[in-house]
Amino acid sequence: MATVKFQNIVKNFKDNQVLKRVDLEIKDHEFVVIVGPSGCGKTTLLRMLAGLEEISAGEIHIDDTLVNHLHPSKRQIAMVFQDYALYPHMTVEENMSFSLRIKNAPKKEIRERVTEAANILQLGKLLKRMPKQLSGGQRQRVAIGRAIVRQPKVFLFDEPLSNLDAKLREEMRVEIAKLYQRLNATIIYVTHDQVEAMTLAGRIVIMNQGVIQQVGTPIEVYRKPDNLFVAGFIGSPTMNFIEGTLRVEKGHVRFVSPSLSLDLPASLLAPEGSHEGREAVIGVRPDDVFAGREAGRNCSQKVDAVLEVSELLGHRENLYLKVGDLRVLATVEAFFNQSPGSTVPVCFNFENMHVFDKASQRRISA
Amino acid sequence: MTNHAKTGYFGALAASAAEIMESPVRRAKFFKYALIHIVVLTAAGICVYPLLRILSISMRPGDRLFSTDLSLIPDGATLAAYASLLKDTMFLRWLWNSLIITLATSFIGVSLASTAAYAFSRFRFPGKKAGLILLLSSQMIPAGMLILPLFLMIMKLKLMNTYLGMIIAYSVSSLPFSIWILKGYYDTIPRSLEEAALVDGTSQVGAFWRIILPLSTPALSIAFLFNFTTAWNEYLVARVVLFSSKQYTWTLGLFELQGQYITQWGMFAAGSMLVTIPVLAVFLYSSKWLISGLTLGSVKG
Amino acid sequence: MEILRSVYEVAGFILLIALGVALLEGYFYYHFKFHDRPWFAWAGLAAFPLLVWLGFTAGGIAKPGLFAWLVAIEAAVLAFFRYAVKGRHSLAYLLLIPAFVGLALLLVYPFLFEVYLSFHDLKLTTIMTWKNTGTLPFVGLDQYVKVFTTSPLSEVTFWQLLGRTLLWTFSNVFFHVLGGFALALLLNNAISFKGFYRTLLVIPWAMPQVVAVLAMRGEFHSQNGFVNIILGKIAEAYPFLAGLGVGPVQWLSDYPLLTCTIINVWLGIPFMMVVILGGLQSISTSYYDAADIDGASYFQKLRYITLPLVKPVLMPAVTLGTVWTFNNINVIYLVTGQAGGTEQADILVSALYKAAFTYNRYSYSAAFAIVVFALLFFISVTYLHGFDAAKDER
Repeated sequence: MATVKFQNIVKNFKDNQVLKRVDLEIKDHEFVVIVGPSGCGKTTLLRMLAGLEEISAGEIHIDDTLVNHLHPSKRQIAMVFQDYALYPHMTVEENMSFSLRIKNAPKKEIRERVTEAANILQLGKLLKRMPKQLSGGQRQRVAIGRAIVRQPKVFLFDEPLSNLDAKLREEMRVEIAKLYQRLNATIIYVTHDQVEAMTLAGRIVIMNQGVIQQVGTPIEVYRKPDNLFVAGFIGSPTMNFIEGTLRVEKGHVRFVSPSLSLDLPASLLAPEGSHEGREAVIGVRPDDVFAGREAGRNCSQKVDAVLEVSELLGHRENLYLKVGDLRVLATVEAFFNQSPGSTVPVCFNFENMHVFDKASQRRISA
Repeated sequence: MTNHAKTGYFGALAASAAEIMESPVRRAKFFKYALIHIVVLTAAGICVYPLLRILSISMRPGDRLFSTDLSLIPDGATLAAYASLLKDTMFLRWLWNSLIITLATSFIGVSLASTAAYAFSRFRFPGKKAGLILLLSSQMIPAGMLILPLFLMIMKLKLMNTYLGMIIAYSVSSLPFSIWILKGYYDTIPRSLEEAALVDGTSQVGAFWRIILPLSTPALSIAFLFNFTTAWNEYLVARVVLFSSKQYTWTLGLFELQGQYITQWGMFAAGSMLVTIPVLAVFLYSSKWLISGLTLGSVKG
Repeated sequence: MEILRSVYEVAGFILLIALGVALLEGYFYYHFKFHDRPWFAWAGLAAFPLLVWLGFTAGGIAKPGLFAWLVAIEAAVLAFFRYAVKGRHSLAYLLLIPAFVGLALLLVYPFLFEVYLSFHDLKLTTIMTWKNTGTLPFVGLDQYVKVFTTSPLSEVTFWQLLGRTLLWTFSNVFFHVLGGFALALLLNNAISFKGFYRTLLVIPWAMPQVVAVLAMRGEFHSQNGFVNIILGKIAEAYPFLAGLGVGPVQWLSDYPLLTCTIINVWLGIPFMMVVILGGLQSISTSYYDAADIDGASYFQKLRYITLPLVKPVLMPAVTLGTVWTFNNINVIYLVTGQAGGTEQADILVSALYKAAFTYNRYSYSAAFAIVVFALLFFISVTYLHGFDAAKDER
């Protein structure tokens, strides 16, 4: 299989720069998910790799071959499109074999390869059908099958699950994961859904506004987000952010905001003089906000909060709390058994807390 | 001069041209697009040229009408032909005749089509399919075929050489097509809008009148326009029904101007320009709707 | 003042139509609403003939026997509503009635009248008797025999016309589609001034056809037309081409059909271009992306993707275009229809028009029309049948 290297990639649409000097290296057999909000340039990056979009500046290498000026079909890639792009006037079999028929490959080889792909994806019974007669999930599988038949070095997936309903999406996610293990290929997968990214990826690339924000394993980007954007983008429900000012006191840093003041342990943020007076944002995931009984068990620095609404999710429960003027979401074990309006003790898990500099948006805590 | 050439707009143009020529991919693209522009421009020239020639002839002075000169703006351009067209012929009267016949025809045609199309779009009833097939197959009747019986009917009704005769002959000619277009458009309006109106207390007819008709303004305009242009440009029926030049529509008038006397070439051209410009303006203005209507109709057909 | 009179006349006519429609609607509404009342049949039988008879008397064409006919028709209508319709689907039918009565009177009735004419003998010598008495001599199939044995005009025969029509239809549609497709493909690129080009390219379609055809006819004039001027200049500049026969030509008298075809191709390309362009633009670009990755060349993409995907738009347009071209009298009549015009360019429909209105052979023309209609109907049915079969296959 293959490695892929992006070097200083720039893309301009008229006066608008949608990709700003992107650098990325993808190793052999890796499953890389590029994730970001819509318009962040992730699909453009993928289409440039496929050769469907002109490269304004920079170089793309596949296996150390410069592919900038190579025709898409010569790059030994295969792509699964968001709308599948199954040719509507061809049967499943014809769709899958199209690339081989174009090349006038021997009939025997075509049949073998199609049969093999159909076996992998359990498409055997559907080969004579038209795309119109297939369900969304089946079309998805045909689109993948068409990619497999090409035996490419790199598989490209462009938001392949976004047209499916929630249940089917889960199923297909598992199938793609299995497929990866079976094919053991290099896969580049673009999505806006962070759940897909977390569950499928070997490495996640998080993009925003044409810039790569962070590259890392799912655990890394979840546990140690590099900046505010990544912290807010990864994880569901979204992380709580609290804005305030840092004060250096003896042995530790104190975080001060109108509604809440906290002494941050030195293990989280070393008491350096440069932090004095710095505008900062504290990030803490709802799972790391303890309330009620959990607060009594786990930590110091309790504050009082008012429960506004609680949502039962099953084994967990979302608590919408108010600390002074500050809204905080806590996810605790069910059943919380407090009525809205009651006062609840709350504390935070400092081990999984993140401190960001407000001006640079970068992480400053350990 | 030497230094200035490198700056300013042309300098930038030259610089970017040089840049284009450097990369083989972009060079190929540049030549491809240049070729496309050349071919399309040639085709556009062929499409427009006759119109420009009419314009040019309409402005030629009377003694040079038959010159073999190909220049578009003639020497000594004059509007004399326009003046004599309006003064010496009944051109304005012809336009008026056309206008009144056409407006009445379009009004009747669109009114009848709007309700019939609604029935086809919203109701299931015995005979629906037969009705639609009748509409489609009526398009297959050679247009020239019905002129004779219509002519005889109009003669029998003593309506020869009258507006009414013309209106009767024209009124249903665009009806099938109008029904087809309007049905296609009604089909795209969600039923829930009428259901909401019904819940709010209107009758089915009230829902049609207050909800569907106002929403269908674009399609109604297309149908109206189609009726209008068909009748406005019609020649063959007018040729046999109208025989006194006072009652002529402009198509008959122009044909006569071009046909008979050599001296009227200039007036023919002037009249053509006066008729073409408004038609062209309306067509180009509405072409987006018209085309979407046409493709809608044809795709569904 | 005459202008005021014309407005008054036409407005009055529209009011009359509105009144007619209202009466019609009221009449059928009554049938839907009261079909099961005991007095329904009697009221209906009494009211309808009275109404129509009054109307016809006012119009001055009442005849004895009409009343009995009307009563019989009304009895049939009543029975139909009472036992078949039973008040169902009333709104749908009420909405349809005005349009379909219009079509019946001005489309179906003329068609049947034409059939009637084709079995009788209406010509210049019998038309006055027909006007006064309404009767015509019955001649059976004579007119149909004449269609195939005598010339509708002065010399050209039916079979020559048929061959010419097929040639005319095929060559026109072929060039319409070819030119339209080529231009649409060019315009479907991301080029600048696209909207401007498209505007210029649809001008032949947008111009009033009479003006467009007459103007183009002027361009084919033997001395003053653009075409001959250019040919003359070419022949002057390159004598060897003149030696090969390039030079001014008497287009209108020597090559009238070719002239008409060139003019009609010029007229018809824009429509095809617009329809095909619409089809091309509706093809999702991701098919081309996928084909690029699959390694298809430009022509393979055209063959395997563009053509099959444009087909659903193209086929109806071609069908429509074929029928239009087959039935196109305008171009040929406007180019050759003047006194002393040639009949070398006539196709079936234009010959039928000229037979009726230049030669005043009405019944002959009616029979001719029926034959042409039957022919067109046969071709269409065969064609549509094939089209449906192709559709089922997919």
